[in-house]
Amino acid sequence: MKTIAETMTADHKACDDEFAHAEQAAFAGNWSGAETGFNAFRNGMAHHFKMEEDVLFPALVSAGGPSGPVHIMRMEHTQIRGLLEQMAAALANKNAQEYGGLSETLLIVMQQHNLKEEQILYPIADQVLAAERETLFSQMREV
Amino acid sequence: MKVATLSTEQAPPISVPLCFFAVAPVFLVLAALLLAAGGGNPFADTRSPASLAATHCITLGFMAMVMLGATQQLLPVVIGSPVPAPRLVAWSTLLPLTAGALLLSGGFMLGEPALLNLSWPLLGLAFLVFIGAGMLSLARASARNATKTAILLSILSLAVAVALGMLLARGYATGLPLPYTRLATAHIGLALGGWVMLLIAGAAYQVVPMFQLTPDYPKWLTANLAPAIFAVLLLGLASLLLEPAPRWMASATENLFWLLAACFAVVTLRLQNRRRRRVPDATLSFFRLGMLSLLLAALFSLASRLSPTANDYFGTLSVLIFLLGFAMSLTQGMLYKIIAFLVWFHLFRGGINAVKAGVPNMKEIIPEPWMWRHLWLHIGTLLAVLLAPLWGVAAWLVMLGLLLQGVLLGCAVLAGISVYRRTLGRIEQIPA
Repeated sequence: MKTIAETMTADHKACDDEFAHAEQAAFAGNWSGAETGFNAFRNGMAHHFKMEEDVLFPALVSAGGPSGPVHIMRMEHTQIRGLLEQMAAALANKNAQEYGGLSETLLIVMQQHNLKEEQILYPIADQVLAAERETLFSQMREV
Repeated sequence: MKVATLSTEQAPPISVPLCFFAVAPVFLVLAALLLAAGGGNPFADTRSPASLAATHCITLGFMAMVMLGATQQLLPVVIGSPVPAPRLVAWSTLLPLTAGALLLSGGFMLGEPALLNLSWPLLGLAFLVFIGAGMLSLARASARNATKTAILLSILSLAVAVALGMLLARGYATGLPLPYTRLATAHIGLALGGWVMLLIAGAAYQVVPMFQLTPDYPKWLTANLAPAIFAVLLLGLASLLLEPAPRWMASATENLFWLLAACFAVVTLRLQNRRRRRVPDATLSFFRLGMLSLLLAALFSLASRLSPTANDYFGTLSVLIFLLGFAMSLTQGMLYKIIAFLVWFHLFRGGINAVKAGVPNMKEIIPEPWMWRHLWLHIGTLLAVLLAPLWGVAAWLVMLGLLLQGVLLGCAVLAGISVYRRTLGRIEQIPA
């Protein structure tokens, strides 16, 4: 069975793909493509955050994992949600320049956040939650 | 597991990195002015006083300034470990590095031993603090990855390069009987081939897949490249210790180094060709220009060995293109991203008021057309470099190019600072 780190990292990469599609379409002025791409990206991100905030993080903290880093990850989720909202507004106004600038900003914020999770938080989760992995995966699929 | 390791609150205040980044472009301008004041063609004789002075303005005043400022920011993110006492470390690297680089360049330019004698203890202090803090941060890092190994080997190379540089400066100032040519060869090899090459490789392992959305670097490369380059550099050092120095060994280690460097460039370019993010990005273009330059520097080094008649010309070009094409392109490209991100990041921390006041996005902090203009200016400068050792007009174009690049970059940093100040003012005016 895959580790938590492998599974969640794969999900990050899937979100990255949607991000790139939306950005490319907006840059090319293909607004219907950008909307489809952006919605897929935003839904993917929302699902990823839900898996973490509703299942993984609480399980990690109640199993004795570190609560400080989890709190920081939650704060960064809020930051990312804020940028996603601004991007949705730029998309609705068909403002390519604004969308491009926000998308550039989001990329850096999101990738730094992902790196911290992938290199530090998920490996800890794999150690602390090794026995419950299967249950966690099925709970995460359901959120 | 230290809770602090994930905290972005560990970052020093924005004024600290921005000071490093604001000082750096001044040294590019200074390098251009020193080259112009030197008389003759400084690219025809790379050991002339003006060339030595300008080279150290670029390597210490510009590149080391940016790299030291940026490394202190990036270590917490890429290896998950903050730099201890960030403010103290920042100021006690920034001030002696600035003063030391000015005095060393002045000492070379004027042939003034007193300036050289003042410069090397200051530079020693700046790097000692940086190396000490960097090593402590690496020792505490919980992440174990190829980036950490590369940065560790890079800092070790820097330590030896700095020690040799200090010895050389003291030697020039006091007329000590030293094996100058051998020491200078070792100093240049470790500074450029060790510190610069390994730092860039270590950063690229993370930065390229993360921000350019490429596949990851292959494991065989990340696991072996930095240790192999470091081993080759050590062999090169060993060959310099033997008496008489075996020519074949020096030549073999140099060929091996360039082979490894070219391998890194080819793999990076191929990964970038497979990037998922296809929108135009000036930093990416700077990065690709840097990798092409690294390949070109390797080819020039090969040409210098194959063509005994033109070996000086190709040898000079190899070093110039490594320095100005590879190292400088990457430094500048990354700098644009780092400044814009830092400004955004520090403003966004203003919380709800920041959102109400409207934090500008990264492309509103440093306008994109500036970066593209800078890229084209840099490409023009590099084309002139190719002819500069042979043709005086091209040498003047390189000086002009460096001057304009310094001005443009300086304006970009100041623009970032001014956006930061204006927005912060707006955020603070909003009632709590």
